[in-house]
Amino acid sequence: MTLSRRHFLALSGATALAPALAGCGDSPDGTGDIQFWSAFSDLQQQSYFQRTQVDAFRGSAAVRLTVKPSSVINRLTQTALAAGTGPDLVLTDGPAQVAAYANAGYLLPLEKYARQYGWDGVLAQWAMAASQVGGQMVSLPAGYETMIMLYNPATLAAHGWSVPTERGEFEAICVEAKAKGLMPVAAGNATWRAASEWAVTAALNHYAGPEAVYQALRGQIRWTDAIFVDTITLLSDYFQRGWWGGSVENYFTNSFPKLYAALASGAAVFMITGSWAFSEILPYFGEPAGNDARWDWAPLFPLRPEVPAVVWDLGVGSTLSINAHSRQPDAAAEYLNFLQTDPRRQAEGIAEAGLQPAPVQLTAADFPPGADERQSRLYIQLSNAATIGYTTWTFWPQETDTVLYTNFEKVFTGQLSAEEYLAALDAVFRRELALGKVPAAPPPQGLGR
Amino acid sequence: MLAPGQVRGTGTTPRSGAGRVSRRRGVIAWCFMLPLVVINVLVVLGPSVFALYYSFTEWSGIGAARWVGLANYAELAGDSEFHAALWHNILWTAFFLVVPMAMGLFGAFALTRIRRFRLLFRVVYFVPYIVASVVTAAIWQNLLSPDVGLGKVAGLNFFGSTTLALPTVAFVNNWAWWGFLVVVFLAAMQGVDPHLYEAAALDGAGPFRQFWSVTLPSIRPTFMFLGLMTIIWSFLSFDFVYVLTQGGPAGTTDVLSTLLYREAFASLRAGYASAIGVVMALISGVVVAVYLVMRSRKAWAI
Repeated sequence: MTLSRRHFLALSGATALAPALAGCGDSPDGTGDIQFWSAFSDLQQQSYFQRTQVDAFRGSAAVRLTVKPSSVINRLTQTALAAGTGPDLVLTDGPAQVAAYANAGYLLPLEKYARQYGWDGVLAQWAMAASQVGGQMVSLPAGYETMIMLYNPATLAAHGWSVPTERGEFEAICVEAKAKGLMPVAAGNATWRAASEWAVTAALNHYAGPEAVYQALRGQIRWTDAIFVDTITLLSDYFQRGWWGGSVENYFTNSFPKLYAALASGAAVFMITGSWAFSEILPYFGEPAGNDARWDWAPLFPLRPEVPAVVWDLGVGSTLSINAHSRQPDAAAEYLNFLQTDPRRQAEGIAEAGLQPAPVQLTAADFPPGADERQSRLYIQLSNAATIGYTTWTFWPQETDTVLYTNFEKVFTGQLSAEEYLAALDAVFRRELALGKVPAAPPPQGLGR
Repeated sequence: MLAPGQVRGTGTTPRSGAGRVSRRRGVIAWCFMLPLVVINVLVVLGPSVFALYYSFTEWSGIGAARWVGLANYAELAGDSEFHAALWHNILWTAFFLVVPMAMGLFGAFALTRIRRFRLLFRVVYFVPYIVASVVTAAIWQNLLSPDVGLGKVAGLNFFGSTTLALPTVAFVNNWAWWGFLVVVFLAAMQGVDPHLYEAAALDGAGPFRQFWSVTLPSIRPTFMFLGLMTIIWSFLSFDFVYVLTQGGPAGTTDVLSTLLYREAFASLRAGYASAIGVVMALISGVVVAVYLVMRSRKAWAI
């Protein structure tokens, strides 16, 4: 058989295009699998997830997991959704992203499936409330987190300190630690610039209090209110005294590995961070680090007597939704139900691979034997939270959140006063509130199932 | 009967035959050009037109955009973060027009004066330019660290200080950049007629006089071109700032590109970010226009 030059060129082009075009389809192998894109912190976590949450699924369709780098998965998903394709299950990094997708019509309403699978009776009420955009349920929190205070018990014991339960105790330890050349609070934003918002989140919820924050998020009081001015002034003062990170300048160059190592060695006393640190901190303590250091955690303490003794600042680390263009939404919902609702699988994920759990009620019986008591203690207490607070990266609209952490640096470096900072924050928040961009926040009390 | 000039048997004139060959060559040339044209339309012209359009909209980068006219540009005019970033870009440009250009000229001129190890020095100067910026940034982050590096010795926190951070980032970027200028200037200097140096030497000109009166005028087109590109590249600088300080501390190293990135991907304000991008393009456009006018008036070769 002979080929003309024209036919040869046409065949070559078609051959080259075929694989590329095949990659554009929503079901590359044509089997009708449920497409799911996700990202993992390490290979161990990825293989655990593949084994227990993908291969173990026995639903009406198989699941095809595609692993994307965590740094680009949002952008890849966004591009695919804009093109009318993408995975059946859409992973986002929080309610602000969900709101943007929902407003663009990319996500399927989930009320029908919530009724079908009884999610209302399984998932925490706060999670159900945080899943809504414009009064419609469009996502489920796939992993949640909370703010905690990490410490090294040996460091406290060596200096005769105990875990602070109120502001006076905390400040006394900070003054003494600073005088001894220690870093009172291991903090820095060299690795993650937005880390400043962890401190702001803690101060807002534990000084101003969750009720005031809730009212401000609903637009009932302004961010320029005196209680928030006092909050920011106090936090800025802590930074300027060098309690956060050792000094203002060092705060900007402290990396997380350095801070974890300082906590393990006793050079730092506390670390105010999120529950995600449980998996990050492991290489710096005990056998993996070649030392005998151990860590523990405590809930954040109130900075004013008027604030409840224990407030759990909740954050949504990731959410799951169903693609509006999914060809098999029912199968996707079935898989979503499988992923989200079994407490035992959630507890095993925490214990075995450090996965963030879905917001289901967890008890000690759900955790496998040998699970780290410190982790199980947190999630059991969290399941019974009486009062919640609000992490800024979850419940603040996107632009306000960016202003919150970038401009806070200008407060403790003396470029902005607390009043100027909050006035700018309030102006941006008002604009986003008017545009309906503020994520739904549950009330601070009466949570749990 | 044949028309005047018509050749029997061919049915065409020599003139029209030449025209067909010429047209055919033109078509073939365009066939070779076509992939480049298509790629440029797809990845340069198309996105540029879209960016211009979106700069007049309020758009999150997701879903539909809402036309807001000049509102983004009006907001830019009163945005203190934009003013600060623009000012940092101007400082950055001034630094890169002076320091690396001077170092590049001096380094290249010095290399023309030596015979031994010239290739070695060229390689040594050029290597930082080809090292990935992330790697260079990580090296200098450690070298200048306030915990284990020069920062500890000097008692300074180079990247944590609101006054030192911008010059320090510029210094690191310059370390990777100036070797490139050396190589380009050296290539230009090697094209200078050696008789000019001999004549200058006979007239009693020393090395500095020779550099000022022979070398500089001879490489002026290269010098001007690199000056132009320095201005354009300075306004596009992103990588070293982003890796070393992410615009911090407290926005003191923010440049237009980091501000654009933050507005587009952290604040989800792609429309506003597009307006920043258009301003950056306008600045580069003005610089190029000025250069083209000067080039035309002075009849420079490049």
